Amino acid sequence: MNYLEVLKLNGQCSIQDLGRLHNQHLGFSASGAADEYAFLSANQMLSNALNCAALEITFGQISLQAQHHCTIAITGANCAAEINGKKIKHWQIHQLRADDILTLSTPKTGLISYIAIADGIQSKLWLDSRSQTLNEQSLGFNEEKVALGSKIPFNEQPETITNVANVRLQSPDNFYQHDTLTLRFVPQNLWQYLNTEQQHKILEQDYVISAKSNRMGYRLSQLPQSALVQLPQNNQLSKPVTYGTIQLPKNGEPIILMKERQTIGGYPVLGCVMQTDLFRLSQLRPGEKIKLQPTTLHHAQQQLSAFYQRFN
Amino acid sequence: MLKTERISLSYISENAVLVEWPEIICPHQHQQIVHFQQQVHTKLTDVIIDTVASYASLIIYYQFEKITTTQLDKELTELINCPPLISSITATEIIDIPVYYGLDSGWDLKFVAAQTSLSIEQVIELHSQTVYHAYALGFTPGFCYLASLPNCLQLPRRSSPRLSVPQGAVAIAEQQTAVYPISSPAGWHVIGQTPMTMFDTKTNDNEASFSAVITVGQQVRFTAISQEQFLDLGGFIHNESNKENAKKSAEEKTP
Repeated sequence: MNYLEVLKLNGQCSIQDLGRLHNQHLGFSASGAADEYAFLSANQMLSNALNCAALEITFGQISLQAQHHCTIAITGANCAAEINGKKIKHWQIHQLRADDILTLSTPKTGLISYIAIADGIQSKLWLDSRSQTLNEQSLGFNEEKVALGSKIPFNEQPETITNVANVRLQSPDNFYQHDTLTLRFVPQNLWQYLNTEQQHKILEQDYVISAKSNRMGYRLSQLPQSALVQLPQNNQLSKPVTYGTIQLPKNGEPIILMKERQTIGGYPVLGCVMQTDLFRLSQLRPGEKIKLQPTTLHHAQQQLSAFYQRFN
Repeated sequence: MLKTERISLSYISENAVLVEWPEIICPHQHQQIVHFQQQVHTKLTDVIIDTVASYASLIIYYQFEKITTTQLDKELTELINCPPLISSITATEIIDIPVYYGLDSGWDLKFVAAQTSLSIEQVIELHSQTVYHAYALGFTPGFCYLASLPNCLQLPRRSSPRLSVPQGAVAIAEQQTAVYPISSPAGWHVIGQTPMTMFDTKTNDNEASFSAVITVGQQVRFTAISQEQFLDLGGFIHNESNKENAKKSAEEKTP
């Protein structure tokens, strides 16, 4: 098997595809690529099937050496990538020859980058997916955690190098917002329980993303005290939760459930953030701010439908 | 018999409907939920991605591009209005789970005793005397929600969830109790640890299989064991201040 070898790794890196959507009834997290926009763009640039597995890198700082020639695409947070010390274009496809070293530095903005490879990473399948999930590492079914010396397998690729100079298919600028990100959510029972003044107070404030955020959930700073008054107690039974569910523990610090979320949870729920905004949220770092804004189910569905149409 | 007007459908996200029954823990109602779940899979195979059942609710993930919410609502309402299943809960074998309830393994044992005005011995006795019904599988692989906890042991969840509890942690919250099958974040009160592995995994060639020790609908009981027995059974005590545990939770944080 041909492979890329990890020579240096400072941040977090895992193999991701679109996840395992059919095994939540057994308690398995759906998992999958955090920023589907960057992930799907990378596969699209390579004319890959959209579910081809790629490397998801958090906060850059990785070096990989190609053991064999291959074609790759780099998207997501811009890590000033270099091949053999020479700067290369971001959001672009590139050819790696045997022994070439690809290096990603720390991104100046954004959090997650993808390195996709022609035909996809050929790691072990588990639950019909190659997505790696942190809390399942101990089960040992997935490919081992990406670490120093890991060999990332891929299929042999044609020797002929096609002209890859200008294949930039998608401009990411239209998708990501550059000012404070507004998370639009479909309201649920707890939101409807609040009075207009409380709702208004929640919407006018900015929330800071906590350092405790990860692929499982994004934790936010506390909701305004005045909005927390007379909230129902946490005495409800645990219910299934989904991608984007906004949980509200008693400490008033909302948790937005992300790709590696649990399948069932017990905290009161404000609503559910629409998926296209969750892809954007996954690129924000601890310390950055967001705002909340209610939307309709119809709007959320339209946005997601339009999103997938770009890639079909 | 269930009144259909007491069952609600909420279209909570682009591709998920949450079906909710009255908020009670009741084996009979739960059996109706599992029956409804099976019918949904049979009747709507082409559009269903997955379904997850809990105590009094069911989430249905569907392909929203294939069916409108209006159509889906019509289909689900028809299923809800079908004559309910005749209840037939059969007695099953009781699964025994050994638990070491100690101050080192039960991180919140003291807190639970103080909050419930019980002695630690009473907390242990009450927890291990009850036979629980398995209501839901979820949260993390093999995590089974068990109920009902005796009234005097019921406490709200922690106001601030822990980032990590060890594999085998036995915890309580409100009417529920459970074993954490793998290390994960947790909002429940840890009162002990079990040396038992909560799932079986097998790998043959490229096929990997997973099965949980407890499945929905089964009966479960906890048995108190000593620290010595716990260690003999292969248990490893994770103290909350264990260096290893502290290191682990630090690794799981994002930079």
